[in-house]
Amino acid sequence: MFKSLLLAGAAIAAALPAAAASGDRVQITGEVIDSWCYYSGVMGGPDAVTGTAHHTCALWCAAGGIPVGILTEEGKIYMVLKWKDHDKVGDGKTILSVQSHQLVADGVHYERDGIDYILVEDIVADNGIPLTNHEDYGFVPPFAEPKQ
Amino acid sequence: MKKLAMLLMMSVIATPALSEDSEGPYSANSQAKSWSLFGEEKARFEARVTDALCELTGDCPDDCGGGERPMVVIRKDDNKMLIVNKGGAPNFTGANYRLSEYCGQDVEVDGLLVGDPDLTPGIGAKVYQVQLIRAIGSDEWVKTNLYTKQWAKKYPEAKGKGPWFKRDPNVKAEIAKTGYFGIGLEADKKWLEENAE
Repeated sequence: MFKSLLLAGAAIAAALPAAAASGDRVQITGEVIDSWCYYSGVMGGPDAVTGTAHHTCALWCAAGGIPVGILTEEGKIYMVLKWKDHDKVGDGKTILSVQSHQLVADGVHYERDGIDYILVEDIVADNGIPLTNHEDYGFVPPFAEPKQ
Repeated sequence: MKKLAMLLMMSVIATPALSEDSEGPYSANSQAKSWSLFGEEKARFEARVTDALCELTGDCPDDCGGGERPMVVIRKDDNKMLIVNKGGAPNFTGANYRLSEYCGQDVEVDGLLVGDPDLTPGIGAKVYQVQLIRAIGSDEWVKTNLYTKQWAKKYPEAKGKGPWFKRDPNVKAEIAKTGYFGIGLEADKKWLEENAE
């Protein structure tokens, strides 16, 4: 009987999420980016897929449900899993208005298997888009240019 | 000049794979198509599907967020959690809707592991682009291109010509407010005037 109970308990535990650990509180400063273009190089190197040059593409990707990241000045990327009270951050609209913005964000940080995640609780500062790299790169990708 | 170099680089990147993509421990029998991406590695493996918030915090809706939460796959071999950044369609869409159909299920996935810290400093691990998925025991692979169908249901008023991302009402509203570069309509106008062909 006891053995059966133990086995049942183990089976239930195995079915639950593995981690469910508590995260650590952080305050980070960084640019809200489209993580796919940044990781993959599909639109060019890292310098070209940030800032004003890549802003429209970042809007498209966030609208398309591609995970949004916050790229810190130290080069670390935090994947955003929660935005204030919104847990459906892939709904294509919740994080659109701050794409390419440099933010100071408070939240809870988790790390697993080499990827950092953040549950953003508060935006302490929104510095707009300080990286005006469109003078160098134009529109990335070029077909983001209006009327193309 | 930098712009020209950028265009040249992008034309190369957009070209179908010119060289052999890297093989990895999960590349055997993969049917994934190469996209010639940074650190690209074909990867087919068995996994459990869930959403990232659930896996990390225990906040687990039955439907994994119904396609509106970032999704992950937990690889069966090593319990490694891989964030799924992209679906198989080349149209700025993720795979959350398709994956949420398999919420909590054991599946086989086929796609690309992507990312190279030598080219993109700061990244700690590769992310996953899922191109195909099937439930364990199923013979039929399913493409991960569900996004635009779901989008069309959500925004019937946006029906029209051209790709979805140029018709998306949320994107259009943002561009109307702050322009294509995001710093105001004047910046767009200035750049377009200065760079008119």
